[in-house]
Amino acid sequence: MQLYTRRRLSNYLVVALSLGATAFGLLFLVLVLGTLLVNGVGALSLTLVTQATPPPGSAGGLMNAIFGSLAMTVIATLVGTPTGILAGTFLAEYAHGSRLGEFVRFINDILLSAPSIIIGLFVYAILVVPMGHFSAWAGSVALAIIMIPVIVRTTEDMLTLVPNALREAAAALGSPKWKIIVMVTYRSAVQGMLTGVLLAVARISGETAPLLFTALNNQFWSTNLNAPMANLPVVIFQFAMSPYADWQSLAWAGALLITATILILNIGARLFASWSGLQK
Amino acid sequence: MTAEAEMVAIPQPAARRRPAGSAGDTVFHGLTIVFAVLVLLILGGVIVSLGYGALPAFRQFGLGFIVGSAWNPVTDNFGALAPIYGTLVTSLIAMLIGIPVAFGVALFITELCPKWLRRPLGTMIELLAAIPSIIYGIWGLFVLAPFIQEHIEPALIATLGKIPGIGMLFAGPPLGIGVLTAGFILAVMVLPFIASVMRDVFETVPPMLKESAYGIGATTTEVVWRVVLPYTRIGVVGGILLGLGRALGETMAVTFVIGNSHHIHASILQPGTTISAALANEFTEAVGDLYQSSLIGLGFILFIITFIVLAAAKVMLIRLQKGAGAAA
Amino acid sequence: MSVSLAMRTPMPPEEPVESGPVAVDNPLPVKVQIKNVGFRYGKFEALKGVSLPLYDRRVTAFIGPSGCGKSTLLRILNRIYELYPGHVATGEVLVDGQNILSPGMDLNVVRAKIGMVFQKPTPFPMSIHDNIAFGIRLYERLPKSELDDRVESALRRAALWDEVRDKLRQSGLSLSGGQQQRLCIARAIAVQPEILLLDEPASALDPISTQRIEELIAELKSDYCIAIVTHNMQQAARSSDHTAFMYLGELVEFDETERIFTVPREKRTEDYITGRFG
Repeated sequence: MQLYTRRRLSNYLVVALSLGATAFGLLFLVLVLGTLLVNGVGALSLTLVTQATPPPGSAGGLMNAIFGSLAMTVIATLVGTPTGILAGTFLAEYAHGSRLGEFVRFINDILLSAPSIIIGLFVYAILVVPMGHFSAWAGSVALAIIMIPVIVRTTEDMLTLVPNALREAAAALGSPKWKIIVMVTYRSAVQGMLTGVLLAVARISGETAPLLFTALNNQFWSTNLNAPMANLPVVIFQFAMSPYADWQSLAWAGALLITATILILNIGARLFASWSGLQK
Repeated sequence: MTAEAEMVAIPQPAARRRPAGSAGDTVFHGLTIVFAVLVLLILGGVIVSLGYGALPAFRQFGLGFIVGSAWNPVTDNFGALAPIYGTLVTSLIAMLIGIPVAFGVALFITELCPKWLRRPLGTMIELLAAIPSIIYGIWGLFVLAPFIQEHIEPALIATLGKIPGIGMLFAGPPLGIGVLTAGFILAVMVLPFIASVMRDVFETVPPMLKESAYGIGATTTEVVWRVVLPYTRIGVVGGILLGLGRALGETMAVTFVIGNSHHIHASILQPGTTISAALANEFTEAVGDLYQSSLIGLGFILFIITFIVLAAAKVMLIRLQKGAGAAA
Repeated sequence: MSVSLAMRTPMPPEEPVESGPVAVDNPLPVKVQIKNVGFRYGKFEALKGVSLPLYDRRVTAFIGPSGCGKSTLLRILNRIYELYPGHVATGEVLVDGQNILSPGMDLNVVRAKIGMVFQKPTPFPMSIHDNIAFGIRLYERLPKSELDDRVESALRRAALWDEVRDKLRQSGLSLSGGQQQRLCIARAIAVQPEILLLDEPASALDPISTQRIEELIAELKSDYCIAIVTHNMQQAARSSDHTAFMYLGELVEFDETERIFTVPREKRTEDYITGRFG
C-alpha cells in the first residue's frame, strides 16, 4: 500500500477511535444519569422529607438522612472554609518560593487525591475512639478534612491571579500587609474563592466512605450531634445492598437527591463564575 | 475645571497616627502559618495513627502480613494478599481501559471537535468526575453487573476463555459482579480525571508548533503522536499517575460490585476484594483487636501505595511546570 | 528618628546640592536628594550611582529607553520594591534631610508622605467613595461627614468630582480608563502626601485622557514635588521643569527641561532626543 494511503487510513482510524472514545464517555454519563432518573423519580414523594428511614418491609422516608447530611455538610463547611482559605492565603501571599510553602503545597495536593476511606479511619482513631462513640461531630470533621485541600488549592489559584499592581497600589498608600490582603486582594478574588467553596461542598456531598466509621448511621430521627447520625450516602449504601424492595427504592430516591444537589452546585458554580466574570 | 480645583483649599494634614494594624500583620501572618502547618499535621497524623493502629497486626504476623492470603476472623488469621491483589488488578484493568479512552477524548476535544462543542464536552468530563462513587456503585450493581453477566461475560468465556493460557483469565461462571466489572466501573470513574489533565496539558502546546507540523502536511494523528505527545509526555504521565492514585483508593463503587471474597482467582470474572472494599464492608463489624488492627493495616498499606503514586504524579507535574517555564 | 509630617514649608537643603554631571544654578528648594543610589535584584544591577535633586513644587521628568532604570528609581523613592524579596537598594534618599532608606525608618510613614500613581489604573474593587476613603482610613478616624468632605476635596483636586458626584457608590471599576487613572490620583492625594511619583501615568490612556492628566499635573505642581517617568518625550518637554535622562541604569544628564531638549551636553542625550535610538 502506498505510504500516503496508509497514513490517511491510520489517521481515519485514530480519528474514528477518538470519536468513539468521546461517545463512550457521553454514553456512560447518559446511562448513569438516566438510570438515576428512571429509578429515582418514581420513588420521589413528599414522604421523603416527612418520614424517617423505616425498618425493612415498611414505607418511610429519608428525613433523618437528609437532615444529617445537611447538618454535617454545614458544619464541615464552617470548619473547612476558613482553614482552607487561610492556608491558601499563606501559600499565595507569604510563601513565595519558600521551602515551607512548596512542602505545604505538595502535601496538600496529595491529601486532595488521598482515598477518603483513609481519612475516615484517621478520624475514627482520633475522635471516635477517644470519645467512645460515633458522632456527627466526627463525621463533620472527616468531611472538613476532605474539603480543606480543595479550598486551599482554589484559594491559592484565585489569589495568585490578582494582579500585583493592585497590591502595590494599596501598599503605596501605606497600608499594612494584612489589610491589603483582606480588604483588597480577597475582595478582588472573592468570586473565584466562592466558586471554590461551592465545588468543595459538591465534592463532600456524595462522600460515603469517610462517614462509615465516623457518623455511622441512625435508624431514627435525631438531632443529637454527639451521637451517630443518619446521612444520605450511608443510608443508600445500606439500603441498596439489601434485598428489600422498599429499601432499594428509597436508595434510588436518595441517590437522585444527592446527584441533583451535586449537579446543581457544579453548574451553579460555573454559572456564577462566568456571570461574575461578565460583571467586570 | 481649573477654577474648581483652585477654589478648594488644601487641608493641612492633621496630626497623624501610625496606620493601625501593624500588629495585625504579625497576627494575620501567624494565623496563615498555623493553618498551613495544620495541613501538614493532618497528613502526618494520618500516617502516625494508621501506623500505630496497624502495629498489633504487624507484630503478630510480621511482614508476612503483606503476602498472607488467609482471612479468617474466626481463627484470627489475617493476610493482606487478597485485598492487595484485588486493588492492583482492578486498578490495572481501569488503567488499561481508561487511558486509551481518556486519550481519545482529550485528542477529540483539543484537535478534532468544532469550537462550539468544546465547552459542552468539557462540562461532560467534569460532570463524569463529579458523580460520586456511591452513585456509580448502585448503578454498577443494578445496571452494569446484570448487563455484563448476561451479555459480556458469556461472550468472553466463549471466545477468549477457550484460548489456552489466557483462557484462565476468563474462566468461571458468569456472575456479573467481580473483578472485571469493578475494574470497568473504575475505568469510567477515572477517565475524566486523566482526560482532563491530558486536555489541559495538550492545550499548553504552542499553536505555532502544531501549525508548523500541519503545514508540512502531517495528519492529525501524526501531529498528536509526534509533536503533541512528546512535548507533553511528562504531564501525560503525571495525569495517568493521578488517575491511578484515584483508582487505587476508590471505595464505594468497587464495594458494590466486587463481590467481597477474600480469595485470589486467576480469572477476572470471579469475585474478589480490594483494600478499600474490605474496609468498607468489615470495619464497623470487626470484633476483636487483631481483626480491627489487620483492617487498619490494610488501610496503612493502601495509604503508602497511593502516597507513592500521588507523590510521583506531583513530581512529574512540577517538573512539567518548571520545564514549561524554562522553555518559555 | 521621626519624620515631621506637619511641616509643609520647604526646608532649605541641609547639604550642598549634588546633581549629576551638571550643576544647577538657581537655588530652588530641594525636597528629595537622591545620593549615589544603586539597585540590584539577583545578580542584575539595575541602577548604578544615581544622584540628583528633586525640587519642591516642580515637576521632574525621567526619560530614557526601556530598561534604563527610570521606573526602578521611582520605585525606590517610596520603597515599594521591598514587597519583593531579593531586591536590594543602596545609597541614600534624603527627604527633607532625612534618609528614608535607613532601616529604622517607618515604612508606612514614608509611604504616607510619598504618593504613587502607577502606569495601569488600579482602582480597588470597591465603590468610588471607598477607594478614596481606604487611604484616609488607614491614618485617621474621621466622622462620616468629615470623611465625605475629604473624599470630595480629593476628587475635586483630581478634576473628577463633577463626573462622579452622583455615582460615588458605584464600583471604581465602572469608570473609563482616564477616569480610573484620575481616581487613582485622587486616591493618592487624599492621604495628603508631599511628593507625588507618577510612573508613566498616561501611557495606558487615549490622547484626550492623556491631555487631561497633563493639565492636572500642571495644577498639582503648585502643591507637590512631582516626579514623572515617561517614555513620551514630548510629554516630558511639555509638562516638566527639569528632566533627567537615564541610560542602562545610570544618570546620564540632568538639567532644566528647556536645556535638555535644546542644547543637551551629552552626546547620548542628544542621540536619544533626536531619535537615533530608543
